[in-house]
Amino acid sequence: MAELTADNTSPKRRGPLFYAGAAGLVTATAVEAIAVSGRWLSLPLHGALEIIQSAILVTACVSMLSATLAGTHASVQLLLNRLKPRVKHVLTRGASLISAVFFAALTIASVWLTVEHWDGYEETELLHIPLRPLRVLCSVSMLAVAAVFAYRTIKPRTGDR
Amino acid sequence: MSGVVGVVALLALLTLGIPIGVALGVVGLVGLAVLIGAEPALIKSGGIVFETASRYELGLLPLFLLMAHLCFAAGASRDFFDAAARLIGHRRGGLALASILGCAGFGSISGSSLATAATVGLVGLPEMRRRGYSDALATGSIAAGGTLGSIIPPSGALIVFGILAEQSIGKLFTAAIVPALTQTLFYLITIVLICRWRPSIGPALPRASWRERGQALLRITDLVALVLLVLAGIGLGWFTPTEAAAVGVVGALALCARRRRLTRTVFLDALADTLRTTGMLYVVIIGALVFAVFMSLTGLSDQIAAIMNAQSDPTIAVVTMTIILLLLGSVLDGLALMLLTTPILLPIIQSLGLSPIWFGIFLVRTMEIGFVHPPIGINLYVIQEIARDVPLSRIFKGVLPFLAADFLHLALLIAVPALALALPAWLGT
Repeated sequence: MAELTADNTSPKRRGPLFYAGAAGLVTATAVEAIAVSGRWLSLPLHGALEIIQSAILVTACVSMLSATLAGTHASVQLLLNRLKPRVKHVLTRGASLISAVFFAALTIASVWLTVEHWDGYEETELLHIPLRPLRVLCSVSMLAVAAVFAYRTIKPRTGDR
Repeated sequence: MSGVVGVVALLALLTLGIPIGVALGVVGLVGLAVLIGAEPALIKSGGIVFETASRYELGLLPLFLLMAHLCFAAGASRDFFDAAARLIGHRRGGLALASILGCAGFGSISGSSLATAATVGLVGLPEMRRRGYSDALATGSIAAGGTLGSIIPPSGALIVFGILAEQSIGKLFTAAIVPALTQTLFYLITIVLICRWRPSIGPALPRASWRERGQALLRITDLVALVLLVLAGIGLGWFTPTEAAAVGVVGALALCARRRRLTRTVFLDALADTLRTTGMLYVVIIGALVFAVFMSLTGLSDQIAAIMNAQSDPTIAVVTMTIILLLLGSVLDGLALMLLTTPILLPIIQSLGLSPIWFGIFLVRTMEIGFVHPPIGINLYVIQEIARDVPLSRIFKGVLPFLAADFLHLALLIAVPALALALPAWLGT
């Protein structure tokens, strides 16, 4: 599936966002590997699944923003590649606008559910990891993706012009 | 009616270049708002976002991607090709055969058609052209071989299908093994036949000594061991697919370290590449799940299933589906094709009494064909990026025999579903 990504983010541009996503990924790997080893050695790691779920959520949220910043979302280019640059530019901005509206709707949906569950003090069963911050992170990431798309509507990436 | 409007709207949005995940999500969200109201539609979509992002089973996606990036950094593509070239390079068309085997080897790590074609192409293509292979055979074999990356487990496409269709990813991986091996075999036979017919297009190289062969094989033992550990672990039930992916990452790190390729830069680059690809896939999956809920409410699948049940037997229905998928595959890329058709066709498949696992393999197989035929044929463009002086028409000419093999293989998969279903049943996965 990596075929649909082409952009390369410069190492110099790696910031806290990258490190947060990478930390989630490394945590998920490490905990899962320890859990597997533990199972074979009869030393089960209780709650591993809950830690992995939380780590994966962090990675997922950060990665969606990361892909948006890098402009690597998969799209069908069959028509776009055959259009005049001016028309292509208009369609690209239109695509960014629709994407911004879609993610804004997801932000509203996500915030809505976060507010609804706020007083429920949701937490995982074994380790009691609170779900509130994770829901907030999810909402913030949707908002950030919407904001990036909105910005691209006004100011497209150089390659999209 | 709303289902048909939804599909047409989706095709229009995709054609206009809207990101695939967004197009699916927009159609799904708007469709749900029309059918059940704006508030329930938003709540449903919000739930899908959180559930998808925190879904344990989806953890295997970034982990397998990370494993692939690390193995790539360790030089897996070159080593697989080199080993195959040393073993069979002295036969007619030997380097083309080696490219197919290199693609199969690297595909068992990368899970991606394009990544496989691009990486093996970078190694194999210059070598074949330098040795006097015809451009058509050289480019065609790698473009076709690259498609193996989509079906050989761990396959990204099968993971996405498994999530979307709520099917066991372990079972899908196991089911893909025999079709992937037979597809590889079909490609190898195609090359042997072409080179027997026209020996000049794939000249034989001097035979490598047994020492050289041994050394090349030795270089891939760690890679092969890692692949076997991951696949056997899933197939024999030692690990869940997510656990296998984590074991794969740890193994790939060890492999990089053993080969003295594990630097801070390599590790951070692999993480960065993984994050970007993961983000793209998460958006696609979220959009596809919203779209699938909409489709299930429209009843479009039930209506089509009723027509098919009334008028034809399952084989005719599957052949009709194949034609539709191949036609759609001419204008949509593989991922879009899968995401658009799964919510519509899967219920039909189930109503016809066919296995969803078989359908997953069949769908990926059909999707692969779209990778190598114009106008989309994304693998053809990748190969042309590597060999810029070879016209696209020549690359397509080179792919044609493999395309014929693909159609034969697809027909075999339809006629003999056990090709995909026997191994999981035998292993009890």
